[in-house]
Amino acid sequence: MADQVLDKKEHSHHTGAPLIEPGHSYGSVTDKISSIVLTRKTPVAWFLGFSVAFLLLMVFLGSTAYLLMKGTGIWGLNVPVGWGFAIINFVWWIGIGHAGTLISAILLLLRQEWRTSINRFAEAMTLFAVAAAGMFPLLHMGRPWLFYWLMPYPNTMALWPQFRSPLVWDVFAVSTYATVSLLFWYVGLVPDFATLRDRTKNRWAQISYGILSMGWRGSAIHWHRYETAYLLLAGLATPLVISVHTVVSFDFAMGIIPGWHATIFPPYFVAGAIYAGFAMVLTLSIPLRKIYGLEDFITMRHLKNMAKVMLATGLIVAYGYMIEGFTAWYSGAEYEEFMILNRLTGPYKYVFWSLILCNVAVPQLIWFSKIQNSVVALFVVAMFVNVGMWLERFVIVVTSLHRDFLPSSWDMYSGTIWDWATYIGTIGLFLTLMFLFLRIMPAISIFEMRTLVTDDKKSKAE
Amino acid sequence: MNDLEAIKPQLNKIQRTALGVGALATLGCLVGAFGNPAQFYQSYLFGYLFWIGLALGSLAIMSLHHMVAGGWGFAIQRILESCSRTLPLMALLFLPVFFGMKELYIWARPEVVAEDLILQHKSAYLNQTFFWIRAAFFFLVWFGFITAMNRWSLEQDKTGNASFSDKLRKIGGPGLLFYILTMSFASFDWAMSLDPHWFSTIFGFVFVLGQALLTLAFAIIVVAKLADRKPLVEVIAKKHFHDLGNLMLAFISLWAYVNVSQFLIIWSGNLPEEIPWYLHRMQGGWEWLGVGVVLFHFVVPFALLLSRRNKRRVQILARIAGAVIIMRLLDLFWIVAPNFREHGLGMHWLDLVAPLAIGGFWVAAFVWQLKGRALLPLHDPRLKEAFSHE
Repeated sequence: MADQVLDKKEHSHHTGAPLIEPGHSYGSVTDKISSIVLTRKTPVAWFLGFSVAFLLLMVFLGSTAYLLMKGTGIWGLNVPVGWGFAIINFVWWIGIGHAGTLISAILLLLRQEWRTSINRFAEAMTLFAVAAAGMFPLLHMGRPWLFYWLMPYPNTMALWPQFRSPLVWDVFAVSTYATVSLLFWYVGLVPDFATLRDRTKNRWAQISYGILSMGWRGSAIHWHRYETAYLLLAGLATPLVISVHTVVSFDFAMGIIPGWHATIFPPYFVAGAIYAGFAMVLTLSIPLRKIYGLEDFITMRHLKNMAKVMLATGLIVAYGYMIEGFTAWYSGAEYEEFMILNRLTGPYKYVFWSLILCNVAVPQLIWFSKIQNSVVALFVVAMFVNVGMWLERFVIVVTSLHRDFLPSSWDMYSGTIWDWATYIGTIGLFLTLMFLFLRIMPAISIFEMRTLVTDDKKSKAE
Repeated sequence: MNDLEAIKPQLNKIQRTALGVGALATLGCLVGAFGNPAQFYQSYLFGYLFWIGLALGSLAIMSLHHMVAGGWGFAIQRILESCSRTLPLMALLFLPVFFGMKELYIWARPEVVAEDLILQHKSAYLNQTFFWIRAAFFFLVWFGFITAMNRWSLEQDKTGNASFSDKLRKIGGPGLLFYILTMSFASFDWAMSLDPHWFSTIFGFVFVLGQALLTLAFAIIVVAKLADRKPLVEVIAKKHFHDLGNLMLAFISLWAYVNVSQFLIIWSGNLPEEIPWYLHRMQGGWEWLGVGVVLFHFVVPFALLLSRRNKRRVQILARIAGAVIIMRLLDLFWIVAPNFREHGLGMHWLDLVAPLAIGGFWVAAFVWQLKGRALLPLHDPRLKEAFSHE
């Protein structure tokens, strides 16, 4: 196997950095990734992180229990602001999920090989983010156990959902998204489950991985069908990257609230989702590669490419802010003008300007190659974007609602302790799932990394 | 250059024919302008907005190409560069609009503005002086990027210096960024303000994608004609047409996406300041043109381009591209012309002749530029890499 080792990746143009560090073979790739799950001692950092995440999950449990006892009155919602943290957090989480789908589906179809080492955990991130997002509309319903009323089905109440409401489209969009993402992720895992099944010494693990790998033997026919299925799923998932956040943007834009009703919303929301998603992938992958020593697989080239995607989508988002501001004035409609002035100079101006700082100003640092080459700087920029994208949704939701058409009904809005507890609690849910995933599943696709080692011809072309 | 000698006679013939058509159509325009100046300016603006799409769309696709440097991009790079070098001609051809401002833009008529509060509010932006300052600025930005990209590419042909590739790659991002920014405002100024009460934040994207799609379709047609001759025949493969077809499919889908978004949001809001724009275009015969655009600008080419076979057969792909170009023209007509026609669908003979006049000169300028340089970049190190990717 040693002669399989290739260092030609070093010639890769553009960045000059390789996708996989030289010196790896079939065996070493498999060993390194599977050992995280099977043989290596679980690092202290994992236990530490998991404990914190689990604690936060308990916060979620507690706040949800209290919510179900008391009702949504414990949240900070009031009459002009009928949509607060619940929709802000829903959009924030759904947006974060988008990078996973983009990396796994679109970059696959575009033959971008650099996706290979980050796609697995980015897809996991998508799933967990969608799970966290789903909590908010469910809980906001007040009676979550009746969630199936959202589905159109013949019922004794003779009621159908309002099909003209984008909120109903959301039900379909998000549930399709969750289903396809889960399938895509699972299908990609099957060959790796088989590797783990064959390598583990633990009887219980053998049985579990054996069931999960669905009888995978790695025969040529298996691979052939696998490749076809994976490509088809990628094709299915591709429109979802755009459709889900488009429908989310429709939740706002279909109404006639100034600040929500803007035709730019669909592309600008999609760009914002990918922006937030890549920021989160960077946030997760930077500590991950450090703690598990995966710098060989998640190289500087990956981090740089993700940063560049972040910069590009961030610029589209900035374009959206600018065009919205200009058009509010250009429209000559007094409510539009008031809305934008209220955003810029009203009681929430600090939130707005922090958002501009986080989403527009700070990410411009990525233009400098010094920043691109610094892991710490990239992590800091990504954190700014994570915060900025939350602030963006806060600004869109709250500043558009809190001063509506009738000054006598104006009011201020802020989240209560329970709003914050639920929000932070979903971060706990997300992180707990992420830590469990890291512990029991291969966080990097083993067999796809092997193709990077062997693909002599392609690596020359790189 | 020897490769070019072989096709030069044909190119010369196209150039002469185009010039002839341009000159004849210009005569027609002059006659029309004397008879009906307002109609002349309206048709002229429509034709102008179509043809400048080729000069500017090429800036967009060149920028994209320099960022990703794929084989498909090198195959059409010289075609795009030639398109982009028609910008000075297009700047010159923008001047007639100056004389027709009052015929075209009601915000330029003081007597209308005096009675319209909203137009008074907008006059800080929509006034003739600022309009022309902005236009000059837009052309300056476009000219700057186009000159840089063309010059570096030529310098590399001459000197073989590989560092120009790096420069070209670096300018791609800013090129695209500034193109989208300036073109958005240019589309607000030149097209959206034809109905000065109407506004749509996505309108810039509608224009940007239209121009990119138009240029790509045009480049596909030209490269299909050149593909079986030297030097392209030596490097170009079915795979590259497949890539170009996929890119066209992507642009068609995105074009449809932004248009559907705009329509759905405005239709659903049904606000008095927005909906009239669509209401006017959905009655009096315009609706049939609209339905035609939906079918033949999106549904049919989308379905055809899903097929791998259609994308890999050069002649079929070129035919689809030809249809896309015609649909671009009709789509623009649907956007522009209803502003001037209050009583439903109508077409003046100048609506055909004015685009022909501009187009004749444009095609002649394009062919003249195409002849001037090798059909493939000679020394770009990325080129060999891109074509060996197979």
